[in-house]
Amino acid sequence: MSEANSTFVQFRGVSLHLTDGRPIVSDLTFDILDSEILVLLGRSGSGKTTTLKLINRLFLPTDGDVIVEGTSTRLWDPAILRRRIGYVIQEIGLFPHFTVERNVALVPELEGWDEARRRRRAHELLDMVGLDPAAFADRHPSQLSGGQRQRVGIARALAADPPLLLLDEPFGALDPLTRIELQRELRDLQSRLKKTMVFVTHDVREGLFLASRVALFQRGRMEFIGTPAEFVRSESPEAREFVRVIREDEDRRLESSE
Amino acid sequence: MSFVDFLVSNRAEFASLTFEHLLLVGASSGIAILIGVPLGILLTRRPRLGPPVLGLANIFQTIPSLALFGLLIPIPFIGGIGARTAIVALVLYALLPIIRNTHAGIQGVDPAVREAGRGMGMTDRQLLFMVEVPLAFGVILAGIRVAIVIGVGVATIAAAIGAGGLGEFIFRGVAMVDDTLILAGAVPAALMALAADFLLGRLERRFAPGDARTAEVRAV
Amino acid sequence: MIRRVTMAAVTATLLFGCGPWTRDRIVVGSKNFTEQSILAELVAQQIERRTELKVERRFFLGGTFVCHRAITAGEIDIYVEYTGTALAAILERPPLQESRAVYDSVHEAYAERFELVWGEPLGFNNTFAILVRGDDARHLGLETISQAAQHTPGWRAGFGYEFTEREDGFAGLASVYGLEFAEPPRTMDLGLTYRALADGQVDLIAGNSTDGLIAALDLVQLRDDRAYFPPYEAAPVLRDEVLFRYPEVGDALSELAGRLPDSEMRDLNHQVDVEHRDMAIVVSEWLDANVPTDAEDASLR
Repeated sequence: MSEANSTFVQFRGVSLHLTDGRPIVSDLTFDILDSEILVLLGRSGSGKTTTLKLINRLFLPTDGDVIVEGTSTRLWDPAILRRRIGYVIQEIGLFPHFTVERNVALVPELEGWDEARRRRRAHELLDMVGLDPAAFADRHPSQLSGGQRQRVGIARALAADPPLLLLDEPFGALDPLTRIELQRELRDLQSRLKKTMVFVTHDVREGLFLASRVALFQRGRMEFIGTPAEFVRSESPEAREFVRVIREDEDRRLESSE
Repeated sequence: MSFVDFLVSNRAEFASLTFEHLLLVGASSGIAILIGVPLGILLTRRPRLGPPVLGLANIFQTIPSLALFGLLIPIPFIGGIGARTAIVALVLYALLPIIRNTHAGIQGVDPAVREAGRGMGMTDRQLLFMVEVPLAFGVILAGIRVAIVIGVGVATIAAAIGAGGLGEFIFRGVAMVDDTLILAGAVPAALMALAADFLLGRLERRFAPGDARTAEVRAV
Repeated sequence: MIRRVTMAAVTATLLFGCGPWTRDRIVVGSKNFTEQSILAELVAQQIERRTELKVERRFFLGGTFVCHRAITAGEIDIYVEYTGTALAAILERPPLQESRAVYDSVHEAYAERFELVWGEPLGFNNTFAILVRGDDARHLGLETISQAAQHTPGWRAGFGYEFTEREDGFAGLASVYGLEFAEPPRTMDLGLTYRALADGQVDLIAGNSTDGLIAALDLVQLRDDRAYFPPYEAAPVLRDEVLFRYPEVGDALSELAGRLPDSEMRDLNHQVDVEHRDMAIVVSEWLDANVPTDAEDASLR
């Protein structure tokens, strides 16, 4: 049983409907545990991204409550809530007119840190994500590769040391090699920093690699939540579909190597 | 006598009319910027206002300038003959390019940038002033440039309603069928427009998305 | 067949498009103010009543110089000009004060230089009217330009483009009367100067003495006590050639000679400018009343 203050986020009976009544997500009730990596897995349109965005109030539920740090998101000031939550998106969204350093130090800047402190923190984070500050701090995003940009994106999300990180298919736009590299680095980072992360993906291998728990979404409902091992053994038809993908992948590889 | 000789021998009047012309364009462009840029920003926040506001600005643009001057004359407060009416008309003319470009420039900012900003906890105001406006600045400036160049041209018509400016030489020249007089007004006005275009174009290029190429900014 | 029709059409167009000497119609032009178009309409209707010719109207061409260019280029055949204007502005000769002298001078010069013929004066004199508001005239007891000259340093003036540029315009007036104004006169479309004066945006303008708006706007014309302005008698000016080909035009126009005094012209202007009556009807009524039509005679010719 987890104490109230060690589950940062709780979903209680959360549903989100469109104005015409169509449900996007229905009846979500679960906790996000401290320091876990909770992977939200599912096909496109299954509601996983929406669920993520309910946490930092980019969406508000039509029914139920999303409770962050003991308070419903409905009652939070959106800007203040979001500054306590790191956010990394697939398209990355670095500000093209800011240097890398200024991009990383965005939330500190919004919070009013002084310049020296901001610079120190930015350099610290660039180091952490494997980018040499001396080389990268003064560059602009357009001078970076996709992988480098997303590293900056992650550094940016961590800048104000938020307790929670939300990642929405962050490696989806990157090439397979970079993707694998960043997955590994993210897992390492997490084990060092012990951040709580919620990670959305439709790539089952990525999900199983990173997750301490997996939540499977289908048509707006959470069909399963548990450890990767439990997932693989699950009887749920959708879970089995996903597991089959891994098998087929391996089979195909075995075939082509013969 | 060539028109250059005419300008030299009438340089006091030439200077005075040029100054009047610059005043008409400067004042009207300034007002149009103060009204148009905030309005363009507002349209990105309230998209439903878009069609009526842009539509209205468009209507003013399509009214032939001389007609617009004439139509404004009988209106109390802003009407009558003279510079004030001319400035009102010039403001109306300058609004469309400024509003439209401000709107397009901000809309053209990469949605991912906007989403990342919001998601990181920027308020709408912070997003607007720290991200959207700086990224849209080049396009906004382009709209201002277009407005000013148009303004220099339309301001020549202001002379018809007694507002002064280089158009006065032109109208007097037309009445007298005197080419020298016509050119004495037309050539400096044209040069003024070209100069404005050139200088503002230089300024624009400094702010253009060069390093900031991610923003898909469409120039109108 | 088609080819022949096309050839015929092309030839016909070329012939009809080509030059004034192939036209079977008279083109009457006018300057860009009401009185001029009334006079042009008068000339046009008179020609139509008296002759078999068709008349094409081209009103509001522009100012004096535009009309002069048009008639010397043959683009119009007739327009009504004022003797003083012809003398000072077009011929650029020093002013004369006696009407007959002015008329004879322009008549001779036009025939010699431009192959244009002056018809007989219509009967009125439309001089530049130096106008001020009725209130000002009454309060300050102003009747002449010289009297006004004492007050002008505190006033603003507004003039049309021609008055500003012409030899017989502002420059000469200012020098003869020693006129000074608070600031250089504003220039604008002539019609607007009346409104500007009435609205108080300027204090003195140079309008036309037969204008209908003078009475309507309670404006007062100041007497030209130093006789600066020459007489401006209105008379039709025709191209030599037109008169030669169609002498009946000359006959028709001579019936108008002397029939239109100042007061009548002012009244016609008033009907159109102030009462907003249809110009063609106003002219037609005037002709019916003042120039007896021998309708039967005309058809017999």
